[in-house]
Amino acid sequence: MPYLLRKVVILVFTLWVAATLNFVLPRLVPGDPVSVMLAKYQGRLDPSAVDALKIAYGLNDLGSPVSQYFSYLGRLLHGDFGRSISLFPTPVTDVIGQALPYTLGLVGITTILSFVIGTALGLYSGWRRGQTGADALTPVSLFLSSMPYFWFALVMLYVFAFQLKWFPLSGALDPFPGAAFTAGWWSSLLRHAALPAFTILVTSVGGWLITMRNNVVSVASEDYLAFARAKGLTERRILSRYVLRNALLPSFTSFGMALGFVVGGSILTEIVFSYPGLGFYLYQAVVGLDYPLMQAIFFIIALAVLLANFAVDLINVLLDPRVREGRA
Amino acid sequence: MNALNLGGLRRLFSQPRTVIGAGILIVLLLMGLFAPLLTRYDPNSLEFDSFLPLSVKHPLGTTAIGQDIFAQLLYGARLTLLVGAVAGLIATVLSVALGLTAAYLGGWVDEAINALINVFLVLPGLPLVIIASAFLRGGGIWPVILVISFTGWAWGARVLRSQALALRERDFVQAAVASGESSGRVIFMEILPNMSGLIAANFFGAALYAVLSEAGLSFIGVGDVSLVTWGTMLYWAQAKGALLQGAWWWIATPGLGIALLGTSFALLNFAIDELGNPRLGRAPAKPPRQGRVPASTPAPSDALLSVQHLEVGYVTRAGTVRAVRNVSLEVNPGEFVGLAGESGCGKSTLAFAATRLLDPPGAVLGGTVALNGRDLLALSPEELRQVRWKEFSLVFQASMNVLNPVLKVREQVYDAMQAHGIHDKKVLEARAEELFRLVGIRESALDAYPHQLSGGMKQRVVIAIALALEPRLIVMDEPTTALDVVVQRQILQEISEVRRRLGIAVVFITHDLSLLVEMSDRIAIMYAGEVVEQAPAHELYRQPAHPYTQQLMQAFPPMTGPRERRSGIPGRPPALSEQLTGCPFFARCAKRMPGICDVKPLETFTVSEAHTVACFLYDPAVPLATRTLALNAGTPPPAPAHPATEVNLESALPYSQTN
Amino acid sequence: MSLPSPIPRPTDSRPTGQPATETTLEVVKLRKVFGGRGRREVVAVNDVSFSIRRGEVLGLVGESGSGKSTIARLIAHLYQPTAGEIRLNGAVVPNRLGSGALRQFRRHVQMIFQDPYASLNPLHPVGYTLSRPLKIHRLVRGDLQTQIAGLLERVGLSPAATYAAKRPFELSGGQRQRVGIARALAAQPELILADEPTSALDVSIRLDVMNLLLDLKDQEGLSMLFITHDLAGARYMSDRVAVLYAGTLVELGPAEEVIDRPQHPYTQLLKSAAPRPDAGPVSGEVPARGEVPDLGALPPGCPFEPRCPFAMPECRAGLPRLYDVGNGHQARCLLHDPEVMQRHSAP
Repeated sequence: MPYLLRKVVILVFTLWVAATLNFVLPRLVPGDPVSVMLAKYQGRLDPSAVDALKIAYGLNDLGSPVSQYFSYLGRLLHGDFGRSISLFPTPVTDVIGQALPYTLGLVGITTILSFVIGTALGLYSGWRRGQTGADALTPVSLFLSSMPYFWFALVMLYVFAFQLKWFPLSGALDPFPGAAFTAGWWSSLLRHAALPAFTILVTSVGGWLITMRNNVVSVASEDYLAFARAKGLTERRILSRYVLRNALLPSFTSFGMALGFVVGGSILTEIVFSYPGLGFYLYQAVVGLDYPLMQAIFFIIALAVLLANFAVDLINVLLDPRVREGRA
Repeated sequence: MNALNLGGLRRLFSQPRTVIGAGILIVLLLMGLFAPLLTRYDPNSLEFDSFLPLSVKHPLGTTAIGQDIFAQLLYGARLTLLVGAVAGLIATVLSVALGLTAAYLGGWVDEAINALINVFLVLPGLPLVIIASAFLRGGGIWPVILVISFTGWAWGARVLRSQALALRERDFVQAAVASGESSGRVIFMEILPNMSGLIAANFFGAALYAVLSEAGLSFIGVGDVSLVTWGTMLYWAQAKGALLQGAWWWIATPGLGIALLGTSFALLNFAIDELGNPRLGRAPAKPPRQGRVPASTPAPSDALLSVQHLEVGYVTRAGTVRAVRNVSLEVNPGEFVGLAGESGCGKSTLAFAATRLLDPPGAVLGGTVALNGRDLLALSPEELRQVRWKEFSLVFQASMNVLNPVLKVREQVYDAMQAHGIHDKKVLEARAEELFRLVGIRESALDAYPHQLSGGMKQRVVIAIALALEPRLIVMDEPTTALDVVVQRQILQEISEVRRRLGIAVVFITHDLSLLVEMSDRIAIMYAGEVVEQAPAHELYRQPAHPYTQQLMQAFPPMTGPRERRSGIPGRPPALSEQLTGCPFFARCAKRMPGICDVKPLETFTVSEAHTVACFLYDPAVPLATRTLALNAGTPPPAPAHPATEVNLESALPYSQTN
Repeated sequence: MSLPSPIPRPTDSRPTGQPATETTLEVVKLRKVFGGRGRREVVAVNDVSFSIRRGEVLGLVGESGSGKSTIARLIAHLYQPTAGEIRLNGAVVPNRLGSGALRQFRRHVQMIFQDPYASLNPLHPVGYTLSRPLKIHRLVRGDLQTQIAGLLERVGLSPAATYAAKRPFELSGGQRQRVGIARALAAQPELILADEPTSALDVSIRLDVMNLLLDLKDQEGLSMLFITHDLAGARYMSDRVAVLYAGTLVELGPAEEVIDRPQHPYTQLLKSAAPRPDAGPVSGEVPARGEVPDLGALPPGCPFEPRCPFAMPECRAGLPRLYDVGNGHQARCLLHDPEVMQRHSAP
């Protein structure tokens, strides 16, 4: 399967690039995080602690940059990302472990929902071209997907949380929601997730709609569609076996990529709603110059994207018979 | 693919989307440009009280530190537009340069650039931009622009590379290379101009990405927040708690500005995409309800298929092109009727119209098509669906992509039968195998996908499917034209045998008369939308009556006999968009009668039983002496002049209906 | 590595006083393999040799996958051969040519493409397309527009002034093809490679284009490689005919010889399958099943063996050589090997 082999190679290669970028970038900045930390703790750290920190961050100047790089890679492979500076001494992996489920939940589910809704509407818009409703969907989608989504989030927050008080203003859960996974807990979770989810949904549905619409329109003018009609197949049959399967293929590839971006994609929404996901913590890390956390989150995001892409490539092989033989 | 040439630009601007998109863009541009004229205040001055509400003096109030929001909005437009345009431009230039280089040079350069593109595409955009910007803090708008450009070029590069790869293989590029053009000129004069539409669309896409990215970055405080852009306005608004203070206009207006700007870019992007891919645009307007020729009930006849006075046309912006003019044709049960004519004579249009597969802008303008006495044109969609394939079926041109690429052949054979009530698996399987045996394909092909079959095999599958429900009539439109000559001969033999065995009537459409002579019972010749002669095959072959048919039968290189020069038919068929009076062949006819042939409305005359011809040489109303003179003269006509304007069917019509 | 001196023109005399070369093109054991580097190897052209004399038309006949287009592109230097030699006017054309030498080469060899709808840049007016070869090869003499008009008139596009301003979409298929011919002529080449120039045209227009090519050939003393799948067309146009099957040359000889008395089973198959409008209603079985083979998985020995009604075990042993069947006519078939035939005819 040379096709899949190539994809694996690209995956590993890109991960390596991401890791290397992570290593290189901070070293371009004058000064170092330890000094920042020192400043933060106003000199209340004694020198041995400082040295320990430097070693923990890989910032001690032992060895050449090259050997530092390899020890960094080594630590990476063991999942050791160091300790967060802004949330010292919490290990970065703990921070990520806390934040990841929220992001996956919120963004993952809304991405799937917006894909399904957008694709369905796109099918309608493309198949029923010429009807007012179907045609109107296009400019509306263009507007929705060109809107800065964090701005839309702000507007939603203002109207529904601030003015109408239907939804909470921030966070993922009430301060004391009760034990996890109880009814009260779920209700609290859902109420907090409602606005962010709605924002993401509205702003991303347009893209899927237009993509699907264009695919459907392309497929509709293909010869095999004319032949299917000539055979006297019912419209339902044509839509499901001829149009959908062919139009969905390219959409599906994009969907896979989007799933990857789930993990890092809604940073701004999380910031606006103070929703404690990965994006929110990334922002905190940037503001607080918390390099280890920043790098770790970025790396996790890159990993997620690459894995999702790879999964999509795998599924593509299953879905598209032409790809199976390397003739995509 | 249409590029941004003059005709393209005109079409582009006739679309409402383009107009609106461009309009919004221009308004915003003017706002920024004429900011000093529209407001007296400096956006950065802090002279006013904070959080003033809307008033005449401050149409949008003031910020938390006393700046006039309206002034900020106007001046902010400048920087925002600058970021969009410049970052978009840089990203596009990078995309074009890398995409084109990869495509043109190929080899390891292509592999390397492709790998680079893949890496950049997969690295998550916004986080990357955020982190990169964090490390490049401060320093004005240019770091932001550069970071955005360097993260935003990859998508465009992939798209442009694909397009350039496809163009590189096109014959006109190869021809330029073969002429001796240098690489530079091939890239800049041959390939690039044909990509101009895609590049323009790409620019707008990149600009959109840039504006939204800048807004996002500014909003979270990355980049230089001392500048006035719409993004930084949102940052300050949020930071100073504008919503909590009730100053919603501070948030709403810059955000709306960004949304509108983004929408205008998106509209322009979309409109240009449509230009390159015309199918994506609005559905062509349905032609007005066709007025029928008064005598629209079909005249009774025993024929299986009876086409009477059929008029079919294409409704385009430039007027209606009459592709089929007053065609009458009959097919008896079990008969093999050949329909021959040059490309553009309307024969495919006739087939599609008669089987109601004609898409807009094509429309039936008059006449009837009766199958077994029922007018096909009058059936409701559901009635039509039931009749389809059971009573008549269609075999498309061999070059067409007629089988669904993602379904196995088996399913595509079954579903024709399933749509008409046969659901028993055993019956379906037995029938499918029987059909494949009939056309000479091995049964294992049933489990293959279409792309695994050769051209000849695919066409045999199509013929097998056409036979599935044992229709009484099969219409075949150039079924063997794109196939190799040996395969063509094999398939023709199979068709001939199958239809004799099953007693099916066949209408066989082709431009190659020689194929028909061997297999047909009757042959009809079409020219410029009219049927100019119909006769039994043997008689047409031995005694062609119409001058066009006579010349057609001579206009090919001989396979046997002396290797002598022959001549074709001088000139070419008239454009279907022209108004033609009299005989359409007049200008090229060796036996024409000026004053008669170009003036009288064309009629059909009988030569002998079952042999009709639309030619005034056989018109009893014309004096015999005149006709005899013309028949014997046979002087070649002068070189015909053709009008410079002609509706180009290809650009006006949906794909695959230009015959 | 570039040619040390310009490719000799037929009228140049050699330094040693030998007579001017009569052979315009010689192709020796030309071979082209596509693929490699992880993809399957496809042998598109398998050791093909032929020559074309001055003023001669060689018809190259074959179906899809026969390698005929690839050969044209190899000769036109659009592809590089994997093995073998191409000689122009007696001098070998190296695989790698510097840009100057390449441009020189292109003055001698020009190509006409099959698809008139794809071979002209849709954005350029006809005049521009025709001006390019003149400018590239520095053949502009006096007024460029007049020269272009002259070219257009020679291919029958009159009045030239109106045609020069037109864009391809305003022309019919036949007219576009004439522009393509004019473009090839502009460089004043000695050899024209016509890659199925009439296949995409209507039957009634083909004859006109073929006649035009014949007239131009006579007027200019051109040599031509006329590629086609139409046996009748090859017979009409060519002095000699070569038949290709799956990348291999299977028959070669004077046109009438090869086409009227084909000696290779494949050529016989082609002839029986060809439409014969002048022979009237005819029917008859085509004596072979199967289709053109997959070039990536050719059978050993003769490529036609799986489909050949006369196949013998020896046919699989190795690729037969070209046997002489008289009158300058050769066929690559063991049916003409006296030893093999003797073995099989002995009772």
